[in-house]
Amino acid sequence: MDRLDKEKMPKAANALRRNFLRTVGIGAACAGTWVSKTLPAASSPQEAPIPNIPGYDWRKHKWAFGVDATRCIGCLRCVEACKAENGVTRDAHHFRTWVERYVYLKGDDHAHVDSQSEPGNIAASGSEQAFRFDNRYQDAPVEKAFFVPKLCNHCTHPACVQVCPTGATYQTRDGVVLIDHSYCIGCQYCVQACPYGAREFNHTMGVTDKCTWCYHRITKGLQPACVEVCPVEARVFGDRNDPESPISQFIKNNRVSVLKPHTGNAPNVFYVGIDKEVS
Amino acid sequence: MPKHIVRLMILVAVVAAAAVGAKAYFTDKSYYRYGHYRGDSVAEIAGDSPRFRGNAYCKSCHQKQYAAWESSPHNNPAAGKHVRCEVCHGPVGQHPSSVATPLSFDERIALGGHAAVLTDKSAASGSLSQPKDRTQCIQCHEAMPGRPAAQRQVALASHSGMAACNSCHDPHEPKINFSELPRPAQGNPVLGKTLAAQCAACHGPDGHSVNPEWPNLASQHAGYLLKSLQAFKAGTRTNEMMSGMAAGLSDADMENLSAYFSKEGCKRVAGDQALASLGKARSATCALCHGAAGVGGNPSWPNLAGQNVSYLTASLKSFRSGSRSHPVMTSVAKTLSDDDIDRLAAFYASANCK
Amino acid sequence: MIGTLANAAPYVGYVYPNETDIPWSVLIVIYPYITGLVAGAFIVSSLYHVFGMNQFKPVARFALLTAVSFMFFVPMPLLFHLGNPQRAFNAVLTPHWTSAMSAFSYVAGFYVCLLLLEIWFAFRADIVALSKAKSGLQGRIYRLLSLGSDDVSPASLAIDHRFATALAIIGIPAAGGLHGYVGFLFGSVKAREWWSSDLMPIIFLLSAIVSGIGLLVVLYVAYSKKRKVPASEQALMGLAKTLWAFLLVVLLIEGLELLEMFYKRLEGIDTVERLIEGPIRYGMVLQWGCSIGVLGLLTVLIVSKARGRTLVAGMTVSGIAMMIGVVAMRWNVVIGGQELSKTSKGLLIYYPEILGHEGLLAVAFIFLCPFVVLWLITRFLSPWEVEAGKEVSP
Repeated sequence: MDRLDKEKMPKAANALRRNFLRTVGIGAACAGTWVSKTLPAASSPQEAPIPNIPGYDWRKHKWAFGVDATRCIGCLRCVEACKAENGVTRDAHHFRTWVERYVYLKGDDHAHVDSQSEPGNIAASGSEQAFRFDNRYQDAPVEKAFFVPKLCNHCTHPACVQVCPTGATYQTRDGVVLIDHSYCIGCQYCVQACPYGAREFNHTMGVTDKCTWCYHRITKGLQPACVEVCPVEARVFGDRNDPESPISQFIKNNRVSVLKPHTGNAPNVFYVGIDKEVS
Repeated sequence: MPKHIVRLMILVAVVAAAAVGAKAYFTDKSYYRYGHYRGDSVAEIAGDSPRFRGNAYCKSCHQKQYAAWESSPHNNPAAGKHVRCEVCHGPVGQHPSSVATPLSFDERIALGGHAAVLTDKSAASGSLSQPKDRTQCIQCHEAMPGRPAAQRQVALASHSGMAACNSCHDPHEPKINFSELPRPAQGNPVLGKTLAAQCAACHGPDGHSVNPEWPNLASQHAGYLLKSLQAFKAGTRTNEMMSGMAAGLSDADMENLSAYFSKEGCKRVAGDQALASLGKARSATCALCHGAAGVGGNPSWPNLAGQNVSYLTASLKSFRSGSRSHPVMTSVAKTLSDDDIDRLAAFYASANCK
Repeated sequence: MIGTLANAAPYVGYVYPNETDIPWSVLIVIYPYITGLVAGAFIVSSLYHVFGMNQFKPVARFALLTAVSFMFFVPMPLLFHLGNPQRAFNAVLTPHWTSAMSAFSYVAGFYVCLLLLEIWFAFRADIVALSKAKSGLQGRIYRLLSLGSDDVSPASLAIDHRFATALAIIGIPAAGGLHGYVGFLFGSVKAREWWSSDLMPIIFLLSAIVSGIGLLVVLYVAYSKKRKVPASEQALMGLAKTLWAFLLVVLLIEGLELLEMFYKRLEGIDTVERLIEGPIRYGMVLQWGCSIGVLGLLTVLIVSKARGRTLVAGMTVSGIAMMIGVVAMRWNVVIGGQELSKTSKGLLIYYPEILGHEGLLAVAFIFLCPFVVLWLITRFLSPWEVEAGKEVSP
């Protein structure tokens, strides 16, 4: 909080200086000079230290993620890639990312929803180490069906960070919500607080685990693993500070929505092509 | 103030001071540096090694596969398709470093030759080769409600029986260019018969070859014969005799010749029965296009029943080596061993072509 | 890392994949329950110490010891539940103040200190007497506890009394805060529909008080039987009236909350209905059955001015029923809230383990501990009235 305020101050000081000079005029030039000399000097932030990540300055990025549900084919390569990349527990109860299937049958008001960890789909894949959707609706009178990838929303106001008693989970300067696995006490309050079910508990390590947008990749100029393996561009990732980045273009060129906006969490995963039943 | 109250207050003060001191002592030095968390953890998390390493890494060794993939529909950025190497092969991780493979490439070749390297599919070798059955491809291509219409999908029950996908599709370059496959021809067999005299020296007057090195033409699909002649004339298929012969034929000549030979009756060729039964067991893949007994329903593809053993063997080997190419046969032939080829040839030679 | 989740929760409808690993087990049912017993017991002692309600004098000091015995074990279920209990002190070192949970160690620590001080002042005269009467190790412990002062002059006892009263006055908001805080811990979780209620802190606090009074009644009757001393009818009737008043308010607030929920019928209400009819059906029957039953029984006892064995039996039944009803209520909140999926399209079903560090046996062990400690403390410092003479010390 202190740090953020300090960074905002030069801007405020400049605005103040401009207004001041504009309104008071030449007669107050001396005073203006005094203000312009003293105010910024008093508030000029000392260069805040940044984390020691080779070739990466977190002040220059603001990450965000896009999901185009109209493109997703439900192949689940993202789910398996995420587990492989991040060493997520290999069973059907722990995911940093997952995919949901929404199916409306003719005459139904409500969608039939399942995910890759639903028992029928586990039977289709043959084990909890690999994932695929079964084809249970192939002969059904399907009116509308689509897949929706889910992951941590890296919210602007993350409820999980708010409830963490120790500060083991936090939001980075570049907009990613991380967990310090060596500091987490394993109370799972954050698991409760996440409205999206995006957090899972690693029983071996006794700590909560979550999507990091592959922070170890994006800080090296790579894409998150799920984006890297998505064969159909259903997942988009990039830097909001760069107007040409895939995510900036995605948000600009589409009418995007977020999940559960009423929670006030202000998610940073933007969706296209979802439907009233998706939450 | 009574003595016990004073002492109590001292006790409380000592405990409180100890608590404050302990808090300062045990708090991590990087805590609060960037916010309410351990500052060092950011760089620690960022320091993990990526396991998915991207196409460029694969390309550095597997250039041939990469080239095939690069121009295929699996790489179509304009349409938003990027089936990169690791989508199917999984994360590269440390492959093929000493972590994944205890021995270096050269060491393994020295110990067991190339075969040992190529056939070692154990997990410990860090092999990224993928299963050859359907499970891989159908993850994306099984027809399923919910998949966008733009996604290529096949109904499993009706697409090519239950054969492995790579029987016909090279996964690096999956598209089969059907426009290059032969079309049925419409010629005049009577006119063709007069032209056939120049073929008779080798292929016999009624399309039965005088030498088993050369193919029997009798009862062969006209479309296939026509396409073959066109290919020889165009030079896309070469043979020291046929290239010259075809050069002198007009389009109409080729149509008529094809019609003539396709109408002639065929004969069964004797083959090794033991080999033939082994060949039959290996023929499931071939049967998809060439029919269960070597007589295909599609006039564009050659019948194999009654064909000469030597010719069949030579053809398959030339597909396998790449000296003859075809969108489907090239990849199919690569799955066949020498024994497989001998057995298949025996099976089709002795099959009833009627 | 290959995981096998032995006790993954079965479910109906659609739940997020991670939800099948239920985060808070039966240990977190027992945690607010034990905290609540502390708050309830403390309130009774305050009724005497602060408000001068003399009918509670026979149980006032006993209530303090009960409160502290249970307070010692409030952190136990939490520590058993943590994935890394050895790091528990991280929450003390760097408390993240936006988190209700970070306040736990400070609130609980403050409250333990407060209770210990209050007990010390309430028992100081006894401690001084015992330090003179006892020799050997016991004597040395009592002398240590007396901080080397044997000043029991009326003047210094008057000062003690002022301190004790001041501490008791601080203790009321502290006890209220401690338990209101536990309610806030749940009520502030906006992701959980069944928890996220503004009324949660007040419901937790009031139900804590009724469960604590229930516990005190049961323990007081049991101790009286053991001491072969008739339980004070005055105290029991006072407890009956207090319990009745608090219980009535709890029932009203809980009832109104449900009424509002079903009247508004916000999105997901049909899943809430299925939760009540399904996974927590027996819990709801126990909670409401016990509460309404006890309210009825207490009304009869109070109106009929019951005395003697009737009063003792009636109050014992009420106390036990109240403890069962509140434990059911804790289950319905803590477990029920997690059985209702965040998708509001599905229900999970939680089955507690028997063995294991989060199992029912661990819970039974933790819940037994405060009773043992209470028994040890009462042997060391008898809470019963000094006028009874022989009962000063064991």
